[in-house]
Amino acid sequence: MEQLRRLLPGVAEVRKTLPFGLSALDSYLPDGGLACGALHEIVPEPRSIPATFGFIAAILARITFSTSSPREEGLYAGGNARGPLFLVLPTYGFREYGRLHGHGLRALGLDPAQLILVETSHRKETLWAIEEALHSGAPAAVAGVIDKLDLRTSQRLHLAATDCGLPLLLLRPAQNLEASAAATRWRVGTAEAARDRFGLITRPRWHLKLERCRNGRPGEWVVEYDHVAHRFSLAATLADPARTRGASESHEELLARTYCA
Amino acid sequence: MAGTGGPRIAALNEAAEAAGLASGEPLADARAKAGFLQVRAVDMAADDAALRRLTLWATRYTPTASPWDEENGADGFFLEVEGSAHLFGGEQSLIADLSTRLKKNFGLPVRLAVAATPGAAWALARFNAEPLCILPSSQEAAALAPLPVEALRLTPDICATLRRLGFKTVGALLDKPRAPFAARFSAKLLRRLDQALGRVDEPLVPVVPPPVYHSLRYLIEPIFTQQAIVAYARRLMGMLVHVLTRDDVGVRRLRLSLYNVDGTVETINIALTLPTRSVDHVARLIDLKLEALAAVCEAGFGFETIGLAITQTEPMPAQQMEITSAFAEEDKSEYCAVLIDKLRQRLGPQSVRRFEPVASHLPERAEMLKPATAEARAWPEPEQTTRPLLLLPQAEPAEVTALVPDGPPRRFSWRGETHEITGAEGPERIASEWWRHPLPFPLQAEEGQVGAPARDYYLVENSDGQRFWLYREGIYGRETAQVRWFVHGLFA
Repeated sequence: MEQLRRLLPGVAEVRKTLPFGLSALDSYLPDGGLACGALHEIVPEPRSIPATFGFIAAILARITFSTSSPREEGLYAGGNARGPLFLVLPTYGFREYGRLHGHGLRALGLDPAQLILVETSHRKETLWAIEEALHSGAPAAVAGVIDKLDLRTSQRLHLAATDCGLPLLLLRPAQNLEASAAATRWRVGTAEAARDRFGLITRPRWHLKLERCRNGRPGEWVVEYDHVAHRFSLAATLADPARTRGASESHEELLARTYCA
Repeated sequence: MAGTGGPRIAALNEAAEAAGLASGEPLADARAKAGFLQVRAVDMAADDAALRRLTLWATRYTPTASPWDEENGADGFFLEVEGSAHLFGGEQSLIADLSTRLKKNFGLPVRLAVAATPGAAWALARFNAEPLCILPSSQEAAALAPLPVEALRLTPDICATLRRLGFKTVGALLDKPRAPFAARFSAKLLRRLDQALGRVDEPLVPVVPPPVYHSLRYLIEPIFTQQAIVAYARRLMGMLVHVLTRDDVGVRRLRLSLYNVDGTVETINIALTLPTRSVDHVARLIDLKLEALAAVCEAGFGFETIGLAITQTEPMPAQQMEITSAFAEEDKSEYCAVLIDKLRQRLGPQSVRRFEPVASHLPERAEMLKPATAEARAWPEPEQTTRPLLLLPQAEPAEVTALVPDGPPRRFSWRGETHEITGAEGPERIASEWWRHPLPFPLQAEEGQVGAPARDYYLVENSDGQRFWLYREGIYGRETAQVRWFVHGLFA
């Protein structure tokens, strides 16, 4: 039956993992990438909530834009055959950071037309919405924001994600995290962006730390994200002239680097 | 209403008539006669729909009710009351009842006439002296004789020709030989005459009421529990499915009515994203809605009757299933609609939304969130400008030090923290939308200038790698002498 399905045109294959496309990262993860069908927790460092949202948006953009075969890309050029992306955001606790901006998501390579925002006002509603979205078979991926998650609830969410084979990304803004059943736990911090020779920002950079990984090893990187090619690359931390220059910069050099249109 | 010489009056109210205006008069003349006029354009489609609704209401008197079309004037309807007059106590009491109801419920003054033929009834309703009139049969010729030729439902040019030839009333036409009329005018004149006098039949096209999908169930014993309500609602929906399939429609809105033993009615309204005929989906939505209403809705002594009425339908043609239906795209959008419905039922109608772009330069106006449907509209191609991931709903003021007032920032403090800027990009100038705020002429900064000042946006990064979007308000030297800075967004 599986062989027959593969022969028929237009059948979307069920994806097992989502590789980062960066061997330095993928080699640390089991299956060579983020497991689809598992719960992944992403924790922001202090003052890094925008960077964490950006990392999640980059992963979602990779899900939308990666196709397994060129023929399939041609058939579904207009839309996403795998369904929209559901983002469950609570309306409480995030006032100080403002709202997600659709054009900003676009600037990170995520098409806002593929995103459906679900707003909840209660933690129970957030959990319910995430489970309903996972069980419905409609989305391509589900992301949410939950602060408190005990072990049993995280196990339930992980099982729900495994049942339908979708990746579940949870942003956990809490500082003291309890044990959870997540397959991976990431910590995201800010990092200075890559600049070209005029001093303009070309790509954002984030400081990633893989804290917990089931059947994998923890690691720490500074990654750079290209929103046009939806690709992660490793920032050349040692050879980057901008970082080495920063310590002993003079005032005039700083002015010269500032670009005025 | 347009005609030669500009717009003309199509209809007027009593005050306008008292002021001496007449229907068909050019609007310019009317404006000269009366001082101030409230004018509205004629909306033929809305008038037709209103007439149709009124005719549907009038089917309480007879099943055959036919609204007048354009030819007949489009401001009335025919009712065939031969078979139903006795139910209302005779024709006299029927038209008395009809005219009082129309006046009381709708506020419409009416002119009614009952006659043996539709043509005669039309003529008498229009041109008779009294507003209500009943004509005994076989007296049409005598009754129509004194009426003008317009009473025969002829086109204006035929009537003008008849008047020129000297035929001013219908009576003048009645006893003349028919052959010259047939030769000079179209057959319509003679046909209308015959219809009015009853020599030729005129069939009426009755209005067809829209189909009603409604099922009701009387219960032997009252029910109290939510499970029982959902089970009965499932059965009621099942009864309606074959009628919906026959008509190729699906449910968009439905109403579940629960009739309590003590006489009160609880209604539950459900709206769906995509039309559906699925009993499971509707039952699940009703279940979710009842859960949300559990605190409000009181069962009391129980519900003895349950009714399910489908208030809005949409065409839903049959779809061909694919052999690989588990992965088909159409199914995905159906699953998506089902999920959106469930989420909306529990979280509220405004809780599931998509981004939609708005054509505006101002970042806070460049997009809005609209309730999600299963299909998404594509976004236009992006421009080469950078936009932040998170946008603050209100730009917050920041203390900024810059080397020159119209130069890039060097250091800023916001929300109690100071940030040293290691790199600033910009400025990107976004001016206010002048078409929304009128500026005085000539365009110069004056006291009390209306219109928001332009903004110069900078993308700044601090030593930690946090990236912000700042703007300076007002073009220094031209719009303002005091520079003010704001933080508008945060970059990833």
